[in-house]
Amino acid sequence: MTPRTIDNVDALLTPEGVPVHFRVAGVGVRMGAQIVDILVTGIAAAALVIFIATAGLAGPETLMAVASVTFFAIRIPYYIASELAWNGQTLGKRFLKIKVLSNDGGPLSTHALVLRNLMKEAEVFLPGTLVLTLDGERVVPSLLALAWITGTLAVPLLNKRRRRLGDFMAGTYVIHLPEPVLLKDLTEHSAEMAQGNKEFVFLSHHLDHYGAFELQTLEAVLRSSGGADARAPTGQKAANLALITDKIRTKIQYAQAIPPSQELRFLHAFYNAQRGHLEQKQLFGERRADKFHADNASKE
Amino acid sequence: MYDTVLIRSARFRREREAQWLHLEELVSKAEKSGLHRMSFEQARDLAALYRQAATSLAIAREISLDRALLQYLEALTARAYLSVYAPQERIGGVVKRFFTYSAPLALREAWVFVLIGFLCMGLGAMAGYLLYFENAAWYHVFMPPELAGGRGPGSSTGELLDVIYMQDPGGSGLGAFATFLFSHNTRIAIFVFGLGVFLCAPAILLTFYNGLVLGAFYALHVDRGIGWDLAGWLSIHGVTELSAICIACGGGVKLGAAVLFPGPLRRTEALRQAGKGAAKLALVAAFMLIVAALLEGFGRQLVQDLNTRLIIGWGVGVVWLIWIMRAGRGRT
Repeated sequence: MTPRTIDNVDALLTPEGVPVHFRVAGVGVRMGAQIVDILVTGIAAAALVIFIATAGLAGPETLMAVASVTFFAIRIPYYIASELAWNGQTLGKRFLKIKVLSNDGGPLSTHALVLRNLMKEAEVFLPGTLVLTLDGERVVPSLLALAWITGTLAVPLLNKRRRRLGDFMAGTYVIHLPEPVLLKDLTEHSAEMAQGNKEFVFLSHHLDHYGAFELQTLEAVLRSSGGADARAPTGQKAANLALITDKIRTKIQYAQAIPPSQELRFLHAFYNAQRGHLEQKQLFGERRADKFHADNASKE
Repeated sequence: MYDTVLIRSARFRREREAQWLHLEELVSKAEKSGLHRMSFEQARDLAALYRQAATSLAIAREISLDRALLQYLEALTARAYLSVYAPQERIGGVVKRFFTYSAPLALREAWVFVLIGFLCMGLGAMAGYLLYFENAAWYHVFMPPELAGGRGPGSSTGELLDVIYMQDPGGSGLGAFATFLFSHNTRIAIFVFGLGVFLCAPAILLTFYNGLVLGAFYALHVDRGIGWDLAGWLSIHGVTELSAICIACGGGVKLGAAVLFPGPLRRTEALRQAGKGAAKLALVAAFMLIVAALLEGFGRQLVQDLNTRLIIGWGVGVVWLIWIMRAGRGRT
């Protein structure tokens, strides 16, 4: 099931044959990680250059070249080694919780990591250096540089997985690390409550109206309003609950009136019954996506 | 009694929840300290529990409508998948394998492209050489002034010799090393590789042009009868350096050829496969340029004798050749 969000979600087939969905990391967060990495390597290079300068190993006229070489000699192994050691994460990527992933579902290969990080030189550092060093007087090189920079920036924006050229060549893309958060099962809650008295009884015709979408929307509402035995909500929340209860009652033609203090309990009980009902149907091969399931079925 | 109240998917979750939490714990441990630091039991459990979680996810998608559970299982499986299928290579092992096996193999496999690289450079040098003798003014056409360093048909033989046998080897070795790496030829090597992907043409043209420069420059010295002295001056690092450019050109041409002639594959797929070999050629070229920089930065100042320069330069060249031809042959 793909979560219905505006996020850019991509499916990957694991070797076990179970598709897993990942949120593709956007250009912004990747730039953030890049900046962190540049800071880390830049500080290391600066420290080394200062050491070389104070030790008198290089004269002032060559210090600029020495600095460039030091930065270069630090950053190239840094990216490759950190992504190898930390499974596709540099320090910046760890910091922002993003990660490189192999297209084909297999493990990241050394070759892929080397390739995507060497291409980074052409895609990130070459435009960066060009911006810093170009001479405004010379029109043709400036225009070429502009074209190159626009091109490299446009490539990730033009494909769905936000891959840059190096990602294409290496067969990788970058994702947000998923955070597993185990929430309590709502039905356990309702079951505990239903232990004592069966105050709300739902029959089969009550439960034939809604589908999975409505059920999961109700799930979100119930989770946000706390446990069923929580104190009665007030203000806007209470008004919303009253509205939802009313809508559901009308839709399913539930005759019994619900006093405001019982609304939350009613919704929990309804959620429980509805989920049991829909899951039962699903087990027997009838998936009900939403409340239009009857129309869709008759169309087919 | 209690269990019968729960619906099926809640019972499903209740039975497996403890395993999932255990897996979560193992995953965070693997992410923090790496798989190789975990005990045998933990590593084994990680793999086994990962497969169970993947199965749970597949089942839950069929039987459960609890979105929170589905999202949790999805994230957990994804996280565990990432730690189970992490690359299990040591950096030292990667470096060793590259030099003893995969790099020479990639060079031997791409010998046609490397040969094209050398041919471009050689033909360029020949053209530059012959054109110079036809008309010395060609020298100014080919040679960028910043590269010539004031040397040209106008300079006297003495001035030319002064550059070759430095009277005053000023500057430190490290400074010269660094300056070299950012010199003209490194830029050429990067461009011939990177631009090769645009249908080979830029790589071939640039290498040819570099040959032209070399040929014209050499012709100038031959004209003055100091060809051998220049050969020595160039050889000590040039054999390595120019070979690096030719190999980088070979890598670029290989990428371009994959775009031009993808065969039965799609172009992106062909490019991806060619990239495997081409990246190794680029790394070899980069390594050779670093060696050339060392030779230039330290060797050229220390060794002023013509014959020693020739011997060192071509000796290193022979070592490269032996490495490319022989290394990693025994392994299958």
